[in-house]
Amino acid sequence: MNAPNRHELFVLDDGEKSLEVTEDTKIPNAATFKIVKQDHTLGNMLRAQLLASPNVLFAGYKTPHPLHPYFLLKIQTDGSLAPAAALEAAASRLIATLSALEGKFRREFSFKDGESGGPAAAVGMAGMEGDPYGGGGVAWGAQRDYLDF
Amino acid sequence: MQGTHSDLEPSVRIRDLKKDRVNFILEHVDLAFANSLRRVMMADLPTVAIDLVEIQANTTVLPDEFIAHRLGMVPLVSSNCEEGMRYTRDCTCMAACQYCSIQLKLDVACHNNTTMDITSNHLEVSSYQMNDFDNVGEGEAGDEPSKRGEYFGHPVGKNDPDVAPVLICKIRKGQELKLRCIAKKGIAKEHAKWSPCSAVSFEYDPHNKLRHTTHWFETDERGEWPLGENANEEEAPRDDEAFDFNAVPRKFYFEVETDGSLGPQEVVMQGLTELQSKLAQIVLGLKKTEPEMLTGERVDETPQAPPDAWGSGGGGGWGGGGDASGGGNASGWGSSSPGRGGGSGNTWGSGGGWSSPAQQGAAGWQV
Repeated sequence: MNAPNRHELFVLDDGEKSLEVTEDTKIPNAATFKIVKQDHTLGNMLRAQLLASPNVLFAGYKTPHPLHPYFLLKIQTDGSLAPAAALEAAASRLIATLSALEGKFRREFSFKDGESGGPAAAVGMAGMEGDPYGGGGVAWGAQRDYLDF
Repeated sequence: MQGTHSDLEPSVRIRDLKKDRVNFILEHVDLAFANSLRRVMMADLPTVAIDLVEIQANTTVLPDEFIAHRLGMVPLVSSNCEEGMRYTRDCTCMAACQYCSIQLKLDVACHNNTTMDITSNHLEVSSYQMNDFDNVGEGEAGDEPSKRGEYFGHPVGKNDPDVAPVLICKIRKGQELKLRCIAKKGIAKEHAKWSPCSAVSFEYDPHNKLRHTTHWFETDERGEWPLGENANEEEAPRDDEAFDFNAVPRKFYFEVETDGSLGPQEVVMQGLTELQSKLAQIVLGLKKTEPEMLTGERVDETPQAPPDAWGSGGGGGWGGGGDASGGGNASGWGSSSPGRGGGSGNTWGSGGGWSSPAQQGAAGWQV
């Protein structure tokens, strides 16, 4: 009835910003990023990548409430670069890793295609023959029933 | 995380590739990275699935809702759905049109004395006609339909005699089912019927050297927890081996099993692309909102109070940072580790607390 549309969990509203920055007032070189319409998929990945940087002192994320489709990412750096720059570097690094991996996957897939004459030929969907539901059905007797009239 | 590890390039080895599944090993990446790939393949790839059902006649034993639900679960061929179709919410049409939907019809009646199966093979894709009563104009013309693969929108296995169809209902003599379905593009975050994967298995550390899980046993741990196949890929720990506190998982065993709507290759490749576009959105968002901040200058903006008091919630509290801080004090953020997130599965960072699965110990230790 008054349930919000499910797609509001992952589609930005009109004019909604995907990212908001709040600088921390009490900690030097720290900022909190509110990343809207994203979840652990992105949050945990960014957190891990940020921690791999020697200039990042702290990185952590949380989804404050499971029904609210955003997460907060807090970053503190050692001052040699801004938290936003650290986040951008982490994201770019991940994109580079992913595209390198994409190339490797493409190569691996083409090898596999070559050796088996295409994955389609290799299969035959073993075990799929034979109706799992018992199929067909039995006649319920040849005598006429009310449905014949 | 550890300097020595991150120097290695990520690598992948496909162990097995079949029509509906792929088994591969991903190495030299973070646990978080591997888990994100798993999550994105399961929940973020668009496919087509029946979303609206108009029942014209139903004299079967199953109620309309039951049948509509079963129809929604039928996998439909969705190759290149990303480009071949629009989301209905983005389309300019009134309800549904050829650019944002597929129409399927089913009209079956039983006239024999035997039980008849209504299966997914009875679903026929039909193009939109001008006289369809709700066809009130279609969206802006586009080239989407030309990008669709062969049999786009057809039930999986309809054109393959080796694949058993999906049973929808059984009918007897005199019963009939006639309906019209509108299939739409969507992702599994909206409804699981849009997931291209029927299962994704994900494993690391088959010998449990990292002790991310605890094996309950009665008398003999080894005997009661037989090793899986993936254990052959890694060296078994020696009996006298000391626990390595600094070890992190670097080798991940995946098996991606699809329901046939997308091929396994397409699922993996699209998953990688989708992750990249998510990250690109972050970079774009940063450039758009705060261009000055990236150059390291101060922003002329009254700093606002943070949206909530950090670590105030029960079980909240920051727990992260540790190993990257180079022994520095992370400025008073609670730095004793909350342990390892949540077991060995996929629940990292769930709940309200901050989590840092790769935490190496209390901050201040040079690890």
